[in-house]
Amino acid sequence: MADPYKVLGVSSTASDEEVKDAYRALAKKYHPDQYADSPLKDLADEKMKEINEAYDTIVAQRRGRQNAGGYTYAGYSGASGSGGGSSFSDVRSYIASGRIADAEQILNGVPVENRNAEWYFLKGSVLYRRGWLEEAKDHFTRACQMDPGNGEYQAALNQAMNQRSGMYGGYNPNMGSMNTGGCNTCDLCQGMICADCCCECMGGDLIPCC
Amino acid sequence: MFGYVRPFRGEMLVKEYEAYKAVYCGLCDALGKHYGRFSRFALSYDCTFYAILAMQIRSARLCAEKKCCTCNPLKKCTYLCPAEGDGSAAECYRKAAALCVIMTVYKLRDNMEDEGLLKRIDARFLHGLTKGAMKKASRDFPEMAEAVRKMTEDQRAAETAETVSVDRCAAPTAELLETLFTDLSTDGGERRVLGQLGYFLGRWVYLMDASDDLAKDVEQGRFNPFAERLGLAKYRGQALPEDVRKAAEAECNAVLNGTLARMGSAVSLLPGGQFTGILENILKLGLPEIQREILFLHVKEKRNGRSV
Repeated sequence: MADPYKVLGVSSTASDEEVKDAYRALAKKYHPDQYADSPLKDLADEKMKEINEAYDTIVAQRRGRQNAGGYTYAGYSGASGSGGGSSFSDVRSYIASGRIADAEQILNGVPVENRNAEWYFLKGSVLYRRGWLEEAKDHFTRACQMDPGNGEYQAALNQAMNQRSGMYGGYNPNMGSMNTGGCNTCDLCQGMICADCCCECMGGDLIPCC
Repeated sequence: MFGYVRPFRGEMLVKEYEAYKAVYCGLCDALGKHYGRFSRFALSYDCTFYAILAMQIRSARLCAEKKCCTCNPLKKCTYLCPAEGDGSAAECYRKAAALCVIMTVYKLRDNMEDEGLLKRIDARFLHGLTKGAMKKASRDFPEMAEAVRKMTEDQRAAETAETVSVDRCAAPTAELLETLFTDLSTDGGERRVLGQLGYFLGRWVYLMDASDDLAKDVEQGRFNPFAERLGLAKYRGQALPEDVRKAAEAECNAVLNGTLARMGSAVSLLPGGQFTGILENILKLGLPEIQREILFLHVKEKRNGRSV
């Protein structure tokens, strides 16, 4: 196995705290949640395994015993489709195994009048995998309109909307560009004035001039 | 490519910024050496990114050299040159230089057909100058020239199709970068990561360019993939009202965010190396910053406005 310190990107003289921080940063980077529905999921999982092993090895070495414990990664059960009662189980299995072209071929063969909410959801999933994100979103929206109570379709649409909002990279105009901290001068003044109002209600005073 | 893929300087280490500049100079040098001095004007940030990515993947060995700048003989620049006996670095530079030339020539051909008269004459003049360079570049990397030719053809087909689809219009550029990036590695896993990175970066570049030109294209009645989807066709030939433009650009920003979200998973899986900091800066900070500058601050317009 490769040098566990190299895997975590720290020197072998790093403190326990530094090792833990490096491990956490990497675990966050390769966490399966970041790769849900990504065709690169298997590579990320491999990387995650490598990091876990490296961390466990270091902890074991340092404690001098085999069972490391601590911050271990709890495994991940892949997002399984609802399966039961699906009229497109073959399409679902093609998508799950990455055979996108085959899945699309079957979907395109379905006559227009037979295209139900699930059809739109699956077609959206195929488009999403291919990177045609706008049309994928349109199809998810349509699926949700046709079957508003379905959690699976709603989850797919929510994910697309979250990605568009800048939650997973990109630029979000409602969040000061590189400033992720929550407190600026404006917030401070606002807080002070609110606190003043509260004090006055109770008979006291925080800012004497107002 | 259009110069949108560049670093966010404010968040860079000084040594990273210097290395970036030195690769930029190294690529300029390679352009002059392989494709003649007139081809130097084809130098771009996008191709610098490609050179850096290629050298990272091949773990190219480089060494810094101080030399006079070709454009300004009074200035001394640092060049990152291929280390003695390392063919892969020289190859990366040469490939990136060829990409500069080929992309620029296709862009000029495009300009000759649809931009204004002055720009058309300008494009024709530059196109004449690059004829020799283009011939040589296509001979050096025929598969690259073919990939770019196919991209332009597919793009034309998508843009003139009966129903315009944003995704279909973006696909040719996305697929071009997917092919170019995939070819940088021979390892199966790496090729998949690079392919995903290339696809979504290419898609982002095309859509960024379309978002950048949206208001101008609608005003001048030119094609834009977003125009129909966002219901802007009725404003054809006139300036967009401020609130309509704002809403349209916020929508473009959302489309770009969605694209970067898909690219991010590949960025984390890129193999590590000497340029990791620079690559992550460009992809994770540089691209969102361009969205901010162009769609929210309108930096370009203000700059042009002043110069008039």
